[in-house]
Amino acid sequence: MKLDISRRGFLIGTTAMAATMGIAAGPARAATGSLSVWKFGGTPAEVEAWPAANERFLADNPDVDLDYSFFNGQIRRQKILAGFQTNRLADVIIAFGQDIPEFAGFGLIQPLDDIATDGQIDDWKTRLVPEVMSSGMHDGKLYGVPTYVDMASFLAVDMDALAEAGYDRPPATWSELREYAKAMTKPDRPGIAFPATTAPVDINIFEGIAYANGGRVFDEESGKVQLNEAGMVDALQLYADLIADGSTPAGTSMTETNFRDTAQLFGQGRAAMWIGLSWLNTPWGTPEGFNWEGAPFPRPDAPSGSFPPVAAIMDGTAVLMVSSRTENPEAAMAYIDFWTQNEQLNTWGGNPEIARVPAGKDAWNSPGLAEAWPNWVSAYNEGNFFAGAEPMPRFIGVSAVESALATAIQQVVLGQKTPQEALDEANEAAQAQIDLLRG
Amino acid sequence: MNRSSDRWLAYFLILPVVAAVLAFVLGPTWDVATLSLTQFVMGQERGFGTLVNFEALWADPVFGTVVVNTAIWILGGTVFCVLTGLAVGAYLAIDSKVTTALRALILLPWVLPDVVTAMAWKWMLHGQVGVIGDAFTRVGLSDQPISFLGDPDLVMWMLVIVLVWRKMPLVALILCAAIRSVPAEQIEAARMDGANAFQRFRHVILPNISFSLTAVTVISMIWITAEFTLPWVMTGGGPANSSQIMSTYIYQQSFQFFNWGVGSAMSVVNLVFLMAVVGLYLYINRRSWAAGGSK
Repeated sequence: MKLDISRRGFLIGTTAMAATMGIAAGPARAATGSLSVWKFGGTPAEVEAWPAANERFLADNPDVDLDYSFFNGQIRRQKILAGFQTNRLADVIIAFGQDIPEFAGFGLIQPLDDIATDGQIDDWKTRLVPEVMSSGMHDGKLYGVPTYVDMASFLAVDMDALAEAGYDRPPATWSELREYAKAMTKPDRPGIAFPATTAPVDINIFEGIAYANGGRVFDEESGKVQLNEAGMVDALQLYADLIADGSTPAGTSMTETNFRDTAQLFGQGRAAMWIGLSWLNTPWGTPEGFNWEGAPFPRPDAPSGSFPPVAAIMDGTAVLMVSSRTENPEAAMAYIDFWTQNEQLNTWGGNPEIARVPAGKDAWNSPGLAEAWPNWVSAYNEGNFFAGAEPMPRFIGVSAVESALATAIQQVVLGQKTPQEALDEANEAAQAQIDLLRG
Repeated sequence: MNRSSDRWLAYFLILPVVAAVLAFVLGPTWDVATLSLTQFVMGQERGFGTLVNFEALWADPVFGTVVVNTAIWILGGTVFCVLTGLAVGAYLAIDSKVTTALRALILLPWVLPDVVTAMAWKWMLHGQVGVIGDAFTRVGLSDQPISFLGDPDLVMWMLVIVLVWRKMPLVALILCAAIRSVPAEQIEAARMDGANAFQRFRHVILPNISFSLTAVTVISMIWITAEFTLPWVMTGGGPANSSQIMSTYIYQQSFQFFNWGVGSAMSVVNLVFLMAVVGLYLYINRRSWAAGGSK
């Protein structure tokens, strides 16, 4: 067989191929040009840690002109949308994983697979926990790199109040929870408090309970809202039962008290237990010597939903995404690559931040994390920590559905409607919104 | 210069204002009006010349609550703001050392940022740790803590009270200045004719300040319609939509649900509602408005 190519051509071709492979396999080159970054939300420790890390990025990439801005997490959607419409969107957006389907559907962000260099994403996979990294996926593509996740739902317990009521471990089932909460209630201190405002975190907390009961807010396959299915209704009935037992603050008080305020009230000894996300009280502080513990939220005695019950639901609230309108994708990817390095991912390894579930594998070896959350670390080392966990609800129209769910929760907490009535109504309203959004 | 060149100079001088109004008022209004007739969701236009957004509004079970709440917010807020402003303004118009000091101090609520005001009131009215509910309990007005912002029957009126606390000072100062500009000889003449304090206020002072009163009422109505931060930070429209008003619901539809068409349709309804109320009010008060304008 004779090849139809000259030696000269062969040499040029092979040299070019070798050079290309050498560039791809070699160390990352320093990025250049201007790079804007918008970061939304974070704990006080993260708000300080992020700019400090940016200085390290600039030291590695001295030719990058970095314009970093921090914003409140609650305004991210309108800020990002306004930036997109006015063509002034940042190159890198650090927002919530739940936003990904809508941002991708809107064309605000682009798949990282399309702009990553050869082997770059595989390299990230060596340092990131796979279950956490997959929460940045949408439609089979990686749209964002999570640096940590928060999980729902958990229970913070005042251990002194628990012992005083005659128990030696946190409640493990819903029926135990009702029993414990009632026993731990005093005239001036309810046994349990849960946030019931319209804040997204308050809704996520409830969703964690309902998903563990086999409920779902939406079925992507059928395009149908599932708010009034048994898994959701029975979870909301648990809220109603706790109130009816007299174990909670007044319903009117819980509808005006969000997750952060509820955590603070727990820290002040104004409730013996509170339902929250995985960080529980850590970002908001508790008095010195306050004897409390965090535990997974009790499981349903018999899950009643039609979907598989989950162990927990999780979402990252600092997921790095690249704008579809960036003019400097190289610098944007260099910035994301920087945040996938162990030094940065260890921010969530117990020092300085202990309030999150870290995305970095190396962070799980940190002594700080083991000291703060020994049960987490042992479960992770046994390979059980993420078992049965699923991403928090994420689909186009999720905000509309969660808003309807929040209204239903409040109606039940206020005693205006039964869970079935409230969720039937919410289901209808949410379906109308979904139909409108999806055309 | 002749009359013709004067006219051209006048046109030239007002040109920047006309351009600004066109660019920043009429332009966006036109944009919102056309958007309300466009099915526009998730950043995608799905057809112009449709009433689907208005139909969605009428079908929305929350919208009726929003309209009622908005009426309480705008009309209740304006009435209480102007009435208390008038009472406080009349008191401040009296010359004394106390009122001189109060004229400066009363502006404190006005100069505080909206978010600070909202957060402070939110905590003061909180059911578990609020000082106001605690005070009610201590003096025996209530036997259990009151969640002012968590009670669906109370929440709108609480928002109106905070709104009045915040907006009333400027109204009071404007009306105070108007009252102090009433000719002293007219008041003195009424007094010599035997008019008591109420009669002097009703038949001398009120007619003299009617233009300011009408103007400040209209301005208050517009301020209150545009107010978003106070209700959003204090309640987020809750509990169970019982404090959802037009501004918060427009925000929610547009920026949380990405449903700009419906958000724009609601803005149009809001604008028409405001124009109708202001128009009706100006029609009823057309005499004082015309008299003031011709002065």
